[in-house]
Amino acid sequence: MIASITDNDELQMNAYCDGELDPVSAIEFERRLAGDQSLKARYERLLALRRAVRSLPQHEMPPGLLARINSKLDADGSGQVVGFPGQSVRAGRMVRLRQRSWSLQALAAAAVLGAVIASSVMVTMERYDLRDDVARQVVAGHIRGQLASQPFDVASSDRHTVKPWFTSRLPESPQVPDLAAQGFVLVGGRVDVVGHDPVATIVYKHAAHTVSLTTLPPGQSVSDQTIAGYNVRSWNDAQFTYVAVSDLPSADLATFEHVFSAGSPAPEIK
Amino acid sequence: MQNKDERAVFDEVFLPHMAEAYRLAQWLTGNSYDAEDVVQDAALRAFRGIKSFGAVNARAWSLTIVRNTAYSWLMKNRPKAVVFTDDLSVAEQQELEHEGPQGTRIETPEEIALFKADAEEVQRALAQLPAHFREVIVLREINQLNYRDIAEITSVPIGTVMSRLSRGRQLLIALLGDRK
Repeated sequence: MIASITDNDELQMNAYCDGELDPVSAIEFERRLAGDQSLKARYERLLALRRAVRSLPQHEMPPGLLARINSKLDADGSGQVVGFPGQSVRAGRMVRLRQRSWSLQALAAAAVLGAVIASSVMVTMERYDLRDDVARQVVAGHIRGQLASQPFDVASSDRHTVKPWFTSRLPESPQVPDLAAQGFVLVGGRVDVVGHDPVATIVYKHAAHTVSLTTLPPGQSVSDQTIAGYNVRSWNDAQFTYVAVSDLPSADLATFEHVFSAGSPAPEIK
Repeated sequence: MQNKDERAVFDEVFLPHMAEAYRLAQWLTGNSYDAEDVVQDAALRAFRGIKSFGAVNARAWSLTIVRNTAYSWLMKNRPKAVVFTDDLSVAEQQELEHEGPQGTRIETPEEIALFKADAEEVQRALAQLPAHFREVIVLREINQLNYRDIAEITSVPIGTVMSRLSRGRQLLIALLGDRK
């Protein structure tokens, strides 16, 4: 029997091929792929299409374009600021333009060299800077979560399930706000170990991205940074030091902090 | 002085993505002369609007300007060259979005042959796609952006990016299959 292909399969297949399925769905999809000949054939065809499109010859930027743009911008700028009319200005502009295109080449070369040096420096720093050990451990927890079949120990979008789960395991458990309306869907929670202490990590999804929010004892200072390609953002309130880790851009993590802080209800009075 | 600062910001934000911008413009307009015009216009727009750059994602910001410039340029200079799905009748739109040339028939594994199309055929098929489908495929495969960035650049929700990609690829496969 040929399993029927639904629109949803088609979307899943595309998202899987683009690496945009969350880990749980990706594993689920792989399992189906292994058992469904028709789906497998369609997937192979999709990959063949991708290869064909990606191997199309690409047009390189024409060599004079950058210079033409620069002169346009010069004209735009001088039009606003000074506005000399006439030929002599144009001649002057040509000279400037030539100088600029030279300096741009030099700039580009410097930028490449700079990037190479910076990346090797960053790698070294990452390896030897142990001061931010806490952040590194939190990121390690996030990475472990990504590698496991699911990034959480308790899967639930219901904060009334996640919160008691933490409470039964940890001396201090955070509020678990549901932020689905703000774009961050609660998917579950897990216990990470930082230093020698178990701590609560709440897991949210934002589109295909996972956000791990680890809650540490309050009053710690963890700097915002990038570790192993993940952005780290930390903030404090009276009860916890929060450390959010995700592959989302840092601006989105800032949004996350904002909605989490706003969505986190005031601590209950026991 | 103000002007000088803006120029520096522009150099930092827009210039690094120029090659990519050109490539995108090339695919959206379909030829290199138009692409050159579009990139020049886009650069000027980016320069004038550099204050609105929010220091979030320079690449997406730059490509958004290029994409929008490409469409307004095409509307002005070659209005018949681009088919937007919005231009089609509701019935045509439905057909395109949901059924397409192959209908809903389910193929058997034997029928799903790996197509062998040469570059020219692929290029032609891609150029034939309605603009909304072409742009997501180009942004995904050529510029290799993720869904999030594509959604930002084309200013549609991620769900729409997903369905357009999926539908666009099906259309491409159908177009390439028809050639045999």
